[in-house]
Amino acid sequence: MSEWREANGESSDSPFAVLVIGLGNPLRGDDGVGPRVVQELHRRGLPEGVTALDVGTGGLDLLRVLEGRKHVVLVDAADVGREPGQFVRFRPDQARLVFAGDRLSLHHAGLGEVLALADALGRALPEMVIFGVQPAEVAWGEGLSPAVEATLPILIDAVLEEINSKQRATSDE
Amino acid sequence: MNINVHHVTRVEGHGNIVVDTKNGEIKECRFEVVEAPRFFEAFVRGRPYYELSHITSRICGICSVGHATASLRATEKALGVEPSEQTVLLRKLNFHGEMIDSHVLHTYYLVAPDFLGVGSVIPLAATHRPVVERALKIKKLSGDLCALIGGRHTHPCAMAVGGFTHLPTEAELRDMRARFVDARTDMDETVALFATLPWPEFERETEYVSLKKDDEYAYIDGTVVTSDGFSYPIEDYRKVTNEECVSFSTAKWTHHNRDSYMVGALARLNNNFDQLHPRAMEAAAKLGLKPIVTNPFLNSAAQVVEMVHCIEDGIEIIDELLTRGVQPEEPPAVDLKAGEGAGSCDVPRGILFHNYVYDEGGRCVSANCIIPTNQNMANLNADMKELVPQIMDKPQDEIRLMLEMLVRAYDPCISCSAHFLTVEFV
Repeated sequence: MSEWREANGESSDSPFAVLVIGLGNPLRGDDGVGPRVVQELHRRGLPEGVTALDVGTGGLDLLRVLEGRKHVVLVDAADVGREPGQFVRFRPDQARLVFAGDRLSLHHAGLGEVLALADALGRALPEMVIFGVQPAEVAWGEGLSPAVEATLPILIDAVLEEINSKQRATSDE
Repeated sequence: MNINVHHVTRVEGHGNIVVDTKNGEIKECRFEVVEAPRFFEAFVRGRPYYELSHITSRICGICSVGHATASLRATEKALGVEPSEQTVLLRKLNFHGEMIDSHVLHTYYLVAPDFLGVGSVIPLAATHRPVVERALKIKKLSGDLCALIGGRHTHPCAMAVGGFTHLPTEAELRDMRARFVDARTDMDETVALFATLPWPEFERETEYVSLKKDDEYAYIDGTVVTSDGFSYPIEDYRKVTNEECVSFSTAKWTHHNRDSYMVGALARLNNNFDQLHPRAMEAAAKLGLKPIVTNPFLNSAAQVVEMVHCIEDGIEIIDELLTRGVQPEEPPAVDLKAGEGAGSCDVPRGILFHNYVYDEGGRCVSANCIIPTNQNMANLNADMKELVPQIMDKPQDEIRLMLEMLVRAYDPCISCSAHFLTVEFV
């Protein structure tokens, strides 16, 4: 059992279980938006059956976190071609994530690489929704830019609504 | 010919290969570390003794157990704390977990793609799926072991000055033992795979530096020895490292009896071969390793041998823990006093030193950490200077690949030494 699951005392067996993952490095400006959302969710109190993990820049180990999960909501800074602070909700099959197939260093392995690896290995992944947040700046420094900071309340509401709809859909089944 | 690999990939951190030759003569040939310094030695000043291992563990996300262990040993020596036998056993086991984790990552994810004709582990998963499945399985085993003993996969939270704040149950250890026994098959297949790889032919003898102990293949504590016949107590580590600054690198260089020395799995294997587990010795024979091995590319093969050793020794340590029974121990109370201590571990990439001075309140006054990648920089540069003339008549792409492979063979963790590596021709 992964230490994250143990640390959170959570059962991923429940059909209502939803895992929220924040990816990114809080020391790199807006790259820290994922971990920040996780932090805010913990501060507000998580809905029942929901786990929120700051997976940081765990690289390919993310595969380990995803395996065996049913529903995952993932928040990551991403160049989604919008104005800084705007975000896009999408499923992995709705986007072609750019991954550094030939120039992979492990510190750089992100979501694109993990999904590509899972695909190449034919691994079953959870049902996944990604919130890609357009950063204003990804550079050394703590704290989010004003544009991304301003979008946080709407982003967190959207994440909570996503969790709700997943749990509603499960209970209707 | 002018090769400029700006940021070599498939290594941890950023570094550049620069080669410039004219009419068959080398004008420039060097490996540059261009990472920003990380200032950990400054972060820890003023911090209480019990925080040091947790702060310095963050130097590296791959060998965090190694940094934590060296840090704890430095603090324990400074404060006169002696860990119990059970603690020593658990630390060794945790350390083996990280050794396997790091070596499987390097050999399978970073090195194997060079030989199997793919750019990275992702296309490798498509062409050699069982190989990648095996790597993931071994990695999961080692990660789970680190989580069981250290409290989590990376950055062990249960390791404390003098002991552990959490202990595994005997049932958990028995379960882990079964998985280690099962991993023997994976190790056999790993050895068989790496025995088929066409390692580049290149020999350059150098001085090999590692820890040494009388009674075991040394990873934690012992004395610092070199293949040139020198031996020092850990406290005298500066006599070995002799750090110096070079203008083109943010990582300091080191030298001892020669212009450079090598640390890591190959250095350990050369210095401590007779103390490997018999199964690891068999693996070494299959991989064609017999000391003194002077081909630096074979550092990766030596890592495969060490994986076998750590699986076998891990089983024996678990057996010993189960025979003794896991005792409910708390870390001992610490009597604060001013003091200095130096700790050393031979971590996946080579010998590591942490040295701290504490004031009478147990706060850190000064710290010095010397990591393996720094110690290998001068030797890597010397290898490059000798290798380039031998391969100068080959096509430029081949030369570039060979130089990148040489850099990768050292398994440099530039993130730790200062941090990213890239290669580009101009």
